[in-house]
Formats: sequence, C-alpha cells, structure tokens
Amino acid sequence: MSIRISTEWSYQQSLTTMMAQQAAVNASQNEVTTQKRISVASDDPAGAGKAISLSHMMAGQQQYSDSIDSANTRMSTETTTLDSVTNLLDSARTLALQSINGSLADADRKSIATNLTQIRDQLLQLGNTADSNGDALFGGTSGTSTPFIQNTDGSVSYTGTDSQLYASIGSGLQIATGDTGSSIFMNNANGNGTFNASAASGNTGSLVVGASSVTDATAYANGMASNGSYTISFDGAGNWTAKDAGGNPVVDAGGNPVGGTYKDGDNISFNGMTIAMTGTPAAGDTVAVGKSQDQDIFGTLNNMINALNSGASGASLNNVMNGQIQALDSTQLAVTNTQVLVGARMNTLDQQSSAYSDLKVAYTNALTAVTDIDPATAISQLSLQSAALSASQQVFVKAQQLTLFNYIK
Amino acid sequence: MANMLTTGISGLNAAQIALTTVGNNIANAGTDGYSRQTVSQVERISQQNGKFTIGNGVDVASVQRSYSAYLTTAMWSSTASLSRASTFNDLTTTLNSVLSGSGDIQGSLDSLYAAFSTVANAPSTSSGRQSLLGNAASTATMFNTLGQQMAAQQTSVNKQISSTVDSINSATSAIAALNKQIKQAGSGAAPNDLLDQRDALMNQLSGLVGVSAVTESDGTMSIYSSAGQTLVTGNTSFNLKAVPDPYDASRTNIADSAGNDITTKLSGGSLGAMLDYRSTVLDPAQNALGQAAVALASSVNAQQAKGLDLNGNLGAPIFSIGSPAVSGSTRNTGSATVGATISDVSATTSSDYIMTYNGASWGLKTTGGQNVALTSNPDGSYSADGMTFSVSGTAAAGDSFKIQPTRNAAGSLSVAMTDPSQIAAASALTTSAATANTGAATVGSVSVSDPTNAGVLAGATISFTSPTAYTITDAGGATIGGGAYTSGQPITANGWSVTLSGTPAAGDSFGVAKNANGLNDNGNALKMAALSDSGVLSGGKVSVVDAYANLTTQIGSAGAQAATNLTTQTALNNQAVSAQQSVSGVNIDEEGANLVKYQQSYQASAQIIAAAQTIFTSLMNALG
Repeated sequence: MSIRISTEWSYQQSLTTMMAQQAAVNASQNEVTTQKRISVASDDPAGAGKAISLSHMMAGQQQYSDSIDSANTRMSTETTTLDSVTNLLDSARTLALQSINGSLADADRKSIATNLTQIRDQLLQLGNTADSNGDALFGGTSGTSTPFIQNTDGSVSYTGTDSQLYASIGSGLQIATGDTGSSIFMNNANGNGTFNASAASGNTGSLVVGASSVTDATAYANGMASNGSYTISFDGAGNWTAKDAGGNPVVDAGGNPVGGTYKDGDNISFNGMTIAMTGTPAAGDTVAVGKSQDQDIFGTLNNMINALNSGASGASLNNVMNGQIQALDSTQLAVTNTQVLVGARMNTLDQQSSAYSDLKVAYTNALTAVTDIDPATAISQLSLQSAALSASQQVFVKAQQLTLFNYIK
Repeated sequence: MANMLTTGISGLNAAQIALTTVGNNIANAGTDGYSRQTVSQVERISQQNGKFTIGNGVDVASVQRSYSAYLTTAMWSSTASLSRASTFNDLTTTLNSVLSGSGDIQGSLDSLYAAFSTVANAPSTSSGRQSLLGNAASTATMFNTLGQQMAAQQTSVNKQISSTVDSINSATSAIAALNKQIKQAGSGAAPNDLLDQRDALMNQLSGLVGVSAVTESDGTMSIYSSAGQTLVTGNTSFNLKAVPDPYDASRTNIADSAGNDITTKLSGGSLGAMLDYRSTVLDPAQNALGQAAVALASSVNAQQAKGLDLNGNLGAPIFSIGSPAVSGSTRNTGSATVGATISDVSATTSSDYIMTYNGASWGLKTTGGQNVALTSNPDGSYSADGMTFSVSGTAAAGDSFKIQPTRNAAGSLSVAMTDPSQIAAASALTTSAATANTGAATVGSVSVSDPTNAGVLAGATISFTSPTAYTITDAGGATIGGGAYTSGQPITANGWSVTLSGTPAAGDSFGVAKNANGLNDNGNALKMAALSDSGVLSGGKVSVVDAYANLTTQIGSAGAQAATNLTTQTALNNQAVSAQQSVSGVNIDEEGANLVKYQQSYQASAQIIAAAQTIFTSLMNALG
C-alpha cells in the first residue's frame, strides 16, 4: 500500500511537534531558573508528598531547637543564680562557725548577726530571680513573680508550686527547665537528714550535741515506729536514760531499759542511733531526738540571727548554732544536687542540639534531592532540547519548500 | 468522423471534470473534514460494427469521496478519547496550580505548632500567645483560600457541563438536519459536501461526549450516546438536559430527553472528562482538604479543652468549623429532617453518604454505593463512620438525604478566640501524695479525659485500703469510685485519669485537685505543640500534616496520570488521524501530478478534435 501523506496533516504534525518541543524547552528553562524540579505537585506526586514530610520534620526540629535555646537560657540563669546561692551559703557557714568561737564578745556576735541578716535578704532576692521572660525562676508553675515572701516576723513563705516547668526537646522527650523553690530552699531536712538530736534550751550544763548518725537502719526504723521520739535525760553523775514520746522508759530489743553512763566526748548509742556529745551535762539536762523535719534556709538563718542577738553564749549558743549549721548543710546539699541536675540537663540539651544540627544537614540534603534540580543534568537537557527544536524548525522550512509546483511551469 | 468528435469531446469533458476536481481538492486541501475526491471514469459503450467494435469515448461515472468508514470511525473514537484526556489534563493542571498557588499549608501548620511550643517556653508572655492566635488565623485563611479555589473550580466545572450539553445538543440537531438533506438527495449522486459536513460534526460531537454511529440504508446516520440513549435517528435529534442534582441545586447533572439521570453512565469526550474529574478527583480532594481542616480544629480544640487558661478556666475552642452538610432530596415526600455531627474524627472518611428511609428503617450508603452499618443509639440517634445522625419529623418510604461530612469544612474553618489569655497552656489538674504515705507508689501522670464532666475540677482523694485496692472520694467525702489497683493502670473518675506506679501501702492517699496556683504551667501547651505529630485521622494514624501531604500526592498523582494519559491519547489520535488522512487527505504533489496528467489529457483530446477538423477540411477540400 502506498502511503499518502496529507499535506495539511503533515504541516500540522510538524507544527505540533515544534510546539511540544517548545513546551519542553520552556519547562526546562523554568527548572533551570527556579532550580526546582517540582513546581506543581503533578511534576512528581510522590516527591511532592515527601517534600512536605521532610519540611515538616525540619520544622519540628526547628521547634525543638528553639525550645532547646529557650531552655538553655533559663538553665544558664539558674546555674548562675545557684552559684551565687552557694557562695552566700558558704559565707553564712563561715560566719556561723566563727560565731561559736568562745573568744567573741557579744558585740562581735551581733555584728555577725547583721552579716547573716544581709545574707538572708540576698538569698530571698536570689530566690525571687526572674528568667528572661520575667517569670520567677524558682516559682514552679506558679504565675507569681515573687514566690518567696517575707512575713512581718521575718519568716519567709513560699507561694510557688511544687511542679516543674518542662520543655519539649524531642519527640516524646521532655526536660525540666527549672527547679522549684520549695525543693531548693524550703523542704530540707534538719539534723542528719534522718533524725535530729538537739539539746534543750534550758540546759544548764556544758553539754554540746555533735554529729549523729544511723548505725542500724532496721533498729532505728523499728525504734522510731514504736516510740515516736526520744528524750535523753542526764542525772548529776553522768548517767543517762531515755524516754519515749509518751514519757515511758525506752526499752531495747531484749526488753531492758536503755541507758548508761556518759562522760565528756562519749557517744550515746541506742536503737540504731549514735549521737556524739562533748562537755558535761548538769542534772536534769535533756537532749530531744526526733525524726528530721523540713526546715527552710530562711528559718535556719533567722534561728542563727536570733541566737546571736539573744546574748547567749557557751554551750547553749553552740547547741543552737551546731543544729542550724547542720540544717544549712542540708540546704547546701540540696543546692549542689540541683546544680548537678541542671548540669546534666544542659548536657542533654547540648547533645540534642548537636544531633539536630547534624540531622538538619541530612534532611536539607534529602529535601534538596527531592525538590531541586541537578544543575548539570538540567542545563545539558535544556541545550539538547534547544538543539532538537532548532533542527525541527530547519527541517520544517526545508520540507515546506519541497513541492512539485516549484517545477510545473 | 462524428464518432471521432464525440470521442474527443468526451475526453475533453472528462479531463475538464477531472481538472475541476483536482482544483477542488487543492482549494480544500486545508478544509477541516474535507475528503479528497477522485473522478471515476468509465469507457462508453462501444459501437458494434460487424467485425469489430469502435470505442466511443469516455464517461465520468462519478466523483467519489476517498473515504474509509472503518478509519473514520476509528478516528472519531480516538477523538473522544483524546478530548477526554485533554480536558481531564486541563482540569487537573488547574487544580495542581491552585494547590501550589494557595500557599504553604504545611508551613503554616508547622508555624502554628511552633507557636504552641513558644507559648510553652514562655507561658505568661502575651506576645507569644498573641502570635499563636495570628498563626491560627493565617492557617485558617490558607485552608479557606484553597477550599474556596476548589469550590470555584467545582462551580466552573458545573457551568462547563451545562455549556457542553448545549454544544452536544446543537451538534446533534445539525446532524439531524443534515440527515434530512442527505436522505432527500436520495440514491442519486452522492452529496459529498453534506457527507463531509456530517462527518466533521460527528468528529466534533465525539470530542464532546463518547458516541457511536450507525449509517442506515437510507443514508441517514443514527447516533447513540455512551450510555445507550438515542441522540439522533433520521431527521430527529433528542436533546440531553443539564439538570440540578436532587440534593444540591448548584451541582449539574445530565438527564436524557425522557428526564432520566444518566450522569454516571456517560463517558468519553470533554463531558465525560468533566463528570469523571468531578467525581473522582475534585469531590475527593475537597473532602480530604475538609477532613484535614476538621482534624486540625477538633484536635486543637479537644486538647485546649483539657487545660486551664490564664483565668483558671478550662480552655474555650480556638477554632470553629462547620458541621457536616446534610441536604434532603427534592423528591422527598416526608417531613423528616436529618442533622449530622462529627463525634469521632478518627473514624471519619472522605466519602459522602446517602441516608435512605425504606419505610421501616434507615440505611446508609456511600455515594459510591457501598453499604455502611448504621448503629442505633439509646437516645434515638444513629452513628456511623465517626458521625452521629439525629432524625426529627416523619420520613416517607424512599426519602433520602445526602451527607457530606467535610465537603465545605475547609472554607468554614475560622478562629473563634480573640483573647490570647484564653489559650489553655496550663495543665488542668495537679496531684499530690499525702505526706504521711509510707508506700512506694508515685504519681506518673494526670490528665483530663472528659472536660465536659461537671466534677472534673472538683478535686478528689484516692485512698488505698490495701496495696491492691483503692477508693475514690470527692471533696465532700462521698465515695465516687474505687477498684483493684495495678501499677501503671489508669485510675479514672469524674472525667480525669491518674496513673500511679509502684506499690502503695494501706492507708496511703493521693489527692487530685484543680491546678489553682500553677497557671504559669505549660503542660497543656506542650501537648498542643505535640499535636504536630499526633495521629488524628484514620483511627489515629494520620496527623493533620500527613493528611495534607496525602492530599498533595493525591492531587499530584491525578495530574501526573492525566498528563501521561494525554501523551498516550495524543499518540493514538495521531495514528488514527494519519491513517484516515492517508485515505481522505489531500496531497498537493499528487494533485500537481494529476493536474499535469489531466492537462495533458485535455490537450490530447483537443488535438483529437483538431485532427477531426483537419480530416473534415481535407475531405471538403478534396470534394470542393
């Protein structure tokens, strides 16, 4: 079968081909200009969907990175503040130790009390430190800007909450961005952290209660459970006995009343506890032993200040100051523990942050691979397409010149 | 001699007719639908002259169209396919441009989630809260814009369907008129021009809608639609009608001349493309976009309701969004009305539904025809696919309602909150372990599970009567719950849920109370920021951003498929037209050669007459 080419159709075909080539050149030009291979979703439907997921993941990480920055700012403020708190507590401890130096005059003790008052006020101010947003750093989740309020009697109340603020720094990963004022300044156990032994204020002897510890946890727990608290009493000969909260003699595991003879520098031990003492008790002097109670640092300092201002000296002052130094150490421990926690959190933030920096590079590369053109390929494709179009145009012109009518004269 | 003259004249006539035909071919070389004509010549009946016969010249038997019924029919069919592919591609290209031109919804959503995170990082800072509302508003606007663009395309497609129906009707009536003329021309000379015109109209009609044609013995052409309706028979044409959808007056359906709805039966041509596009691309895309909008509004509002704002109140909704659209059929005879609400977003689909009363009970089907189980609720309402339907009034048998859960949702998304202090960043509840507790149990988490419970903030105490059993008492001391305790299992009452871990001792207690003092808390803001990756749709597997990504892929795929199909159909159409043109098309070179041939033939015939004259003159001179 001979093939007849319709002149009109062949003309149209050439034209259609050229138009298609022109459209291709145009599309390639667009790609090269914008550097994007997906301008509408139909250019690469799966790629367009993937680009959205990748952009979303990058946005999520940006969100986490922003939270990390914000958390870092807050933690840095907390670190600095806690450093200042530590310095103040160190000063207070030094002053307290100085104050029980027997050679001090009453005026010296009053001057130390004045120093301690300043330290207390500075601590109050640090407790009310604000973060970069103006919110209280140690107020927990409370909206107040002054979580620590000084009452008229000099005592300090905490009006914040016991809940921490958190920042979200990863999928399902939250980190506390602060610590509550109650855990740092307020709820610190006095005594040795488990029990507290304190000489009665009315004691007349030179007995000073020193360090104490639990030597047998089970015996201690059972003893406290059945007796509630203890009162150790001395007679004039240095013999001591112990009574429980109800005033009944304390008995040991064998049912015999506990007691013994004390002389200067001995430890008194019963029911799993050991209490170091120095000095000599007068007849009727007592030492109270109870479970450790929460004590706030402001109360501790106030107790020191009041004792130093009271004119007391010797054993009674020593006993007060020793107890308060124990409480101060307890606060110092809470501050140190918090500093360790903050350090660990900042470490986590740094690790997450650097992980996100690495991931950002990876995701950016992945996104580029999906949405961006490869310039070399795109440009060589563009020149190929331009060459093809130019060839078609030349062929069209040549073919249109070919007609029999050129030769029919 | 006379014979010689006649023969010469017949040759002249034949050559003249052939030359005219060649001229006509050349003149119509560029005419759409023109079929090349050829002259068919036959030998005249010879004179019997005893021992021999003398030729008597030539007759022109006919001027024929070069025409192949097979190739022309194939061309019509490929025109219908090409036109469908081309229109479909145009529509999906527009939709893809609309999608890429309506803003970056993913970026906007991520900004919104980041704004929740910013509020979490500084819960009391009003600028963060204000910018969150700004982000919410711009996200809503983006959904609105894309929703409106899609709705505008829906309107435009409906208009085009109407105007295409008009074009189909004018083509069929023109073909009917041509049928009449062709029939009148009868069995005499074939009316080539009329046949060409009719073929051209038929090709045009094929581009509008898929049709099939049968040529009858009287020369008329009967035309049937792809749905089987007769469009033309003899000199009568039957009009299609553009009619409003019984459930939605703004939607155009197609009815045949008898008024039967044939919308879903038509295919091919630009009309078929528009109907397919509307039901397989645009409707699902609008529903999917609406579903994403509903997912956003409901997930944010639900989490918002579980926290406390700066005034200590449970969070008010941030977004407002329209309810599912319910429309009764215009054919309903009962007085029933149906209301629909979305009760569980995770169970919703992107389908539309028809709810029908059969005289005894209600039934539900998707518009695609799939049955959906309808659950009767104790309060008389019905539930299915995450929606709750309430029926009031009395339905008659056969009454039906169309439910479009999310069709218009994207356009109706808006921000309802104006006061940034109403953003519920704080957790609503706090828990505390009693100081006298001796067991090892600690509070894991506390959350609001049902903010609508009146007692959710009233406070309660969980008291352990043994390490494995607890009772719950409210603030007034009344027992409101209790049960067996398992570490890590939630304990619930009054719309809250508390998880404890570890082993408690008998006598231990835990308090649950409103977070009265902790309004600077950010627990709920963190949860709202985490919605960024929370599954909301499809049973909690698909997040809002995922839904948008899926929509993008869905629209992109429709566009890419349409483009591929257009390329294929263009190639097929090229082949069909090339084949048809190789028979019916005019080749100028061929006509040029024919021109030379018939010119020579004419000259030769003229020479015969001249020869006859010479012979006659010679004879006269000889006689004279």
